This record gives sequence, C-alpha cells and structure tokens, in this order.
Amino acid sequence: MKPSAPQVLADLAGLSMRNAAPDVAPAARAGQLGLAALLLGLAAEMWDGAADILVRENAALRALLADGAALSEDGARRRWLSELSAGGDGGLRISDLEAANAELKVALIALHAELERRSDEAARDLEARVWDELARSTERRKLSGSPC
Amino acid sequence: MDEAELTPRLAAYIAGRMPEARDVAVSDMNRITGGASRQTWRFTCAWTDGEGRRRSRGFILRRDPADSLIDTERRVEFEAYRAFHGSAVPVPEMLWLEEGDEALGSPFFVAEEIAGFQAGTGALFAPPYVDTLPELGRRKWTILGEIAKADPARIGLADVLPAVAPDACWSRELDHWEGVLDSDETEPLPIIRAAIRWLRANPPPPAQKVGVVHGDYRTGNFLYDAAGGIHGILDWEMCHLGDPLEDLGWSFNPVWSFGQGKPGGLLPREAAIAAWEAASGLRAEPQALKWWELFACVKGQAIWVSSARAWMDGANRDPILVYPAWALINAQDRAALKVMGRL
Repeated sequence: MKPSAPQVLADLAGLSMRNAAPDVAPAARAGQLGLAALLLGLAAEMWDGAADILVRENAALRALLADGAALSEDGARRRWLSELSAGGDGGLRISDLEAANAELKVALIALHAELERRSDEAARDLEARVWDELARSTERRKLSGSPC
Repeated sequence: MDEAELTPRLAAYIAGRMPEARDVAVSDMNRITGGASRQTWRFTCAWTDGEGRRRSRGFILRRDPADSLIDTERRVEFEAYRAFHGSAVPVPEMLWLEEGDEALGSPFFVAEEIAGFQAGTGALFAPPYVDTLPELGRRKWTILGEIAKADPARIGLADVLPAVAPDACWSRELDHWEGVLDSDETEPLPIIRAAIRWLRANPPPPAQKVGVVHGDYRTGNFLYDAAGGIHGILDWEMCHLGDPLEDLGWSFNPVWSFGQGKPGGLLPREAAIAAWEAASGLRAEPQALKWWELFACVKGQAIWVSSARAWMDGANRDPILVYPAWALINAQDRAALKVMGRL
C-alpha cells in the first residue's frame, strides 16, 4: 500500500480542515472533498485485510523461494534464496510486513527469470507455481471496485 | 498559485496577447479536478473589441504543476492539438502557448473551451448515455483510425516530434517506460518484470507505418454527447511518433474497461478493431496487437508508480496522485496476467 495509509490519511485530514474554511470556492471544495472521500473509501477497504494479505503472501513467497533454493543452478542465488526462505517478517506492522514482502519479491523476480530460461521439468513445474501465486496475490489484493 | 492569484495575472497575459482588445477581464475561474499531469481551469474571458463591442468567450487553461504524473513538454501537447484542428479528428482550438515561468509561475497554454459535453466516465454508463455506447465506441475507434491514418509530415508534426524507425518503435517505448519503472518503482513488481522479459523476447514486427500516436487514447479522454457523438479528443501530452498499434493496444488496456468487460466499456473487441482498420487502412495483426496490449500494461504500471513516487517524495502532494497508486496498480497487474493468458 504505497503511499502508506497513515501518510495519506494525515494529508486528507489537512485537506478536510482547509476545505472547512468558509472562503473556499464551492467547485474547488466539491472536487477536493470528492477525491478525499474516494481515497478514504479505498483506505477503509484495504485497512482490515492489509496485514492478513501480507502475512499470507510472505509465507507463500518463502515456500516458493525454499523450493527455488533447492533447484537453482546458481550457487550464490541458492544461498540467498535459502536465507530468505528461512527468515521471518520481523513484526506485524504493515511497514515491517511490506519491507519483508519487498525483499522476498526481489528474490522471486530473480528466481522467476532463471526458471524461464530453463527447460527441465522441475523448473517448468516451479515456474507454473510462481505464476499461480502471482495470480493469487492479485486476487487477495483485488478491491471491490477494481476495473479488472 | 490559486484562482485568486491566477485571475489578474491571466487577464494581464491575455490583454498582452490581444492588443486590439480593451478592458480584458477574467471571471468564473474553476479548476477541473482529475487532471494529474496538468492543472486545468475553465474560465470566461470578456473584452471590448476594436469596434467597441463587448464580447466574451469560454477558455481552458492548462498549466504545469510542480511535479506531474507524466513528464512531457507542453509544446508537444500544444502542437499536437494544432496539427489536428479542423481535421476528421475533433480537437479544441489552441490559442497561446507560454513556455516560460514569468506570466503564471509555470508553463501553460490557453485553448478554446468546447462546452456542453461530457468528459468524465461517471455519467457514461447510465441513461441517456448508456443507450448509445455502441455508436460512441464506433466513433471512438474510427477517430483513432483517423489519427493512425494521418501523415505526420503533412500536418506538421514530423518537425516537432522525434523521429523513429519502423523497427525501433517498440524498443524506444519499452526502454523509456522500463526506465521509468527502474527509477520510480515503490515496490518490486514481479508480474510487470515478467511481462517486460516476455516483450523483449518476443518483439513485434516493424510498424506498418510510423504515425502519430496519441499516447493516452482511452474512454475518459474525449468529450461526448448523448447521441454517441465525440466533439473533442483531449490529453495529448504523451503524443509521439510510433507504431499506430500502440494506441490501439492502450485503448484495449483492461483498466479502461470500467467493469463492463469490453474495451473502453463501449464495444466488443472485434467491432473496435474493425472500426479502426476501416478508418486507418491498416491491419491489426493479432500477435503484434497482443505485444502492444501487454506493453500498455507496462506503460500503465510505470505511470501509476510514478504518481506514487511523486507523492511520496513530496514533489507533489496532490491527492489525485494517490488514486492510481491505490486503485490501479493491482488492477494493472491483473490486466497484464490476462493479456499473458495467466488469469
């Protein structure tokens, strides 16, 4: 969730205060408060599930990286994937979970690119599981008003 | 700079551009919300002409913000509008371009206002507009075909927009937008990175012609009426020379389907392609079009993450920049998966 919800909500609080002033032009006030309402609605929808989504996603990514560590043909990458897959989230703050998520995704991108270059069955199978998880991650994050 | 500051400075600027006019006054200055790459105002200008008659006219002011969602030269946008004015591609008339900061604090241009039509998508899927969506769709892709058919040299854009070879259209665009992702990405994007690898491994054939690419041709960027008519194609700030299929692919980006399950929320894909092919005289070869549709997902994602980056870095704290980051990044990932047959 970037920009982070606390930062955005703080800005929206300031925007609401400014628009409470009596001398704001009605059209400008309507535009700004309408946009603020839209963002507040998105924040409300994302809020409850944010930590749950990240915890589940990070676990799924670690499982893929663990299998990747066993399969990679690159020694340095094997060690990197192995370390990451054995790690944890370091906390349940959204910011902690997102930091761990970003680290895991960087590794997933490297693993994914290696798997695409290979033609052996084990690599093909793991690549298919990577795609499945990527699709599932978009399902978890899908908002009610998502255009697709 | 708010409306109170802008109004007198704008009146003084226009007075300088209309030396025959006296008593130039600017009023009813209203910011049009939603623009993330330029700040847009609608206003009325009144003046006394050389024969002593009091006149007034609606104008549009497009001004650069401190940091925009899309970084482009405003001259590109201005010249693109000018090039198509009076053609089969309806656009508002451009009046004045100012590239310095002196008049209004940042570059801007002034155009005629085309009044009385809808632009936003909020009204589109309800009566009376919903009844004429197929006609609106045919007009939309017919006009896009007209843009594709245009000769950039004949309409004066070959002198303004950087040239590109037919076999380099794809790589120039992909290099640019991958570079934007590299610099502005706020978190790793495994789906879009996989899409970029696929695009580089499967390049499209050379462009059938190097034409004018609008760059943001989508539902929401034109003025429409309840009869399915289109009266102004807007938002040319990403206009460039390139493969005309790029615009067709962008218009098919699923994030512009508004939950209607068809391109632009308007027309079945086959009908949109048929209208575009008939007007352009070009062919939308399926594999080449697929490449440009996936490219559109990469470009879209680059724009959404750029908006997040601009907001997070503090360059521009307009809340409009938060919306695409929150609402569209995951949707754009899903769109890329769909184009790749992974969803």
